[in-house]
Amino acid sequence: MRHLMVLAAFAALAACGGNGDGGNGQAPAADGTAASGNAAGGQAGKGAAKSSLLASLAASPDHATLVQAIKSAGLEKTFSGAQPYTLFAPTEAAFQALPGGTLDGLMKPEAKGQLTALLTGHIVPGTVTAEDLTRAVERGKGKAQLATVGGATLTVTREGDGLEVADAKGGKARVMAADGAASNGVIHGIDKVLAGQ
Amino acid sequence: MRKVFLMVGAAALAASMPALAQKGGKGGGGGNGGGHAAHGQGGGGGGGKAAHGGGGGHGGGHALAAKPAKAEPQAFHGGGKPQKMERQAFRAAKPQKAERQAFRAAKPQKAERKFVQKAAKRDARVQRDFARSDVRRDDYRSAITYAAAGAGYAAAQNCPPGLAKKGNGCMPPGQARKAYGVGERVEQNWFGGYDLPSRYSAFYTDTPQYYYGYDDSGYIYRVDRQTDLISGLVPLLGGGFSVGQALPAGYDVYNVPYQYRDDYYDTDEAYYRYGDDAIYEVDPQSGMIESIVALLGGDDFGIGQQLPSGYDAYNLPMEYRDEYQDTDENMYRYADGNIYEVDTKTQIIQAIMEMLV
Repeated sequence: MRHLMVLAAFAALAACGGNGDGGNGQAPAADGTAASGNAAGGQAGKGAAKSSLLASLAASPDHATLVQAIKSAGLEKTFSGAQPYTLFAPTEAAFQALPGGTLDGLMKPEAKGQLTALLTGHIVPGTVTAEDLTRAVERGKGKAQLATVGGATLTVTREGDGLEVADAKGGKARVMAADGAASNGVIHGIDKVLAGQ
Repeated sequence: MRKVFLMVGAAALAASMPALAQKGGKGGGGGNGGGHAAHGQGGGGGGGKAAHGGGGGHGGGHALAAKPAKAEPQAFHGGGKPQKMERQAFRAAKPQKAERQAFRAAKPQKAERKFVQKAAKRDARVQRDFARSDVRRDDYRSAITYAAAGAGYAAAQNCPPGLAKKGNGCMPPGQARKAYGVGERVEQNWFGGYDLPSRYSAFYTDTPQYYYGYDDSGYIYRVDRQTDLISGLVPLLGGGFSVGQALPAGYDVYNVPYQYRDDYYDTDEAYYRYGDDAIYEVDPQSGMIESIVALLGGDDFGIGQQLPSGYDAYNLPMEYRDEYQDTDENMYRYADGNIYEVDTKTQIIQAIMEMLV
């Protein structure tokens, strides 16, 4: 695919510039593609050493309900794919602390939409480590904002020695187990379920 | 992604040469050739930009995807023979940083391996899509209401009282009536004053043949410039989709954002469609969403724009951290498959440094 694209761009350039200048257009393409190919190789090599977000969660006894929820929402491929995410992962205790019946309701087939919205409120694009969060909080004079893939914004603050994550509705969770590294992101265990969108 | 990105780059080049762009536009034979296929496959989004600016880019590029040997001369032909002055202009226009990055990000080695296989699949898919759209076109209006009703899914089962249940979600009855069907004529400038929602504008870009309109009715309309007839509909999603539901009508067209196209392309086993900031895997037979394969931030990350809020924290994947570290001058952020360079002081997005997917 990429090969085609380079050609396509070249073709377009050539169309603009005519035969005489076509060579100029091609030169940067040839240089650049080689450089990028190397970068991709490095990525694959390092990533292969660790398991995916989904596999890491599944291996943890403290995230059984979360894994079940991820499967119910059909998000397994998202968490086992190549794209990096940061997951604020509620623990078993966090799910159990939800008001009576809430969890059962969310796990029903007809509530998949709600469940998906809830889960996406815990997912941030990219790999954000606890250290990154701490730095951002310091730089942000006490707080850092994270856009979730669900469209909501989480606010991170320092609380004692640790970090606290707040959703847009004021719900707060403490980061209990930070920096669970995976090939495609990082997992921060939290002690409360945050609100969705 | 890369295809269009590069094409956009080419378009930007062309745009930086107004004299050339105007003249080149007349000779856009290549653009027409590839345009139809592009809509079957990719919604004709950014690809059209190249044609808009340079004349031959659109058609050349897409034709190339199918038959490289033939397409190249076509692209040359499309641009016509540039005058001396134009050639000078071309030389003078050095690609901006972002465009150079785009070139760098393309990865031909990997692509070559995939090419034969994918091109074959793609051809089959385009044909299939055409066949399907021909069938539906006759009865598109009713299909809009809800094509997948047979699958037993109530599109807007949670609509508040008084809002119409339309394929794309809930909307007031007055607005529901405004939804046009394919083949209906609209007045020129009918959609004036309504800009496409920003998250969609990158995917549905005007071409010399078509423009895209939006009027709060819940659809993006593709309008033929010559006839003023609506030639395509894209429902915008209210409320989002989830696994086990069917996609509403109008998702015949492959619309996955460009950077994800290498990973998620249609096969006989699964289609991939983008909507509501996610990429869905769809069963081609039943039309049901089987899986959510990627979640996108949905924020606007255009070069030259302000970094959206919510990206306070450094978030690069580990393997890129050595190369791209925040400094007093530049910071780096990951979003939707790309790593962006941002000016630390102004918070303006300066370039795409890497495309990860």
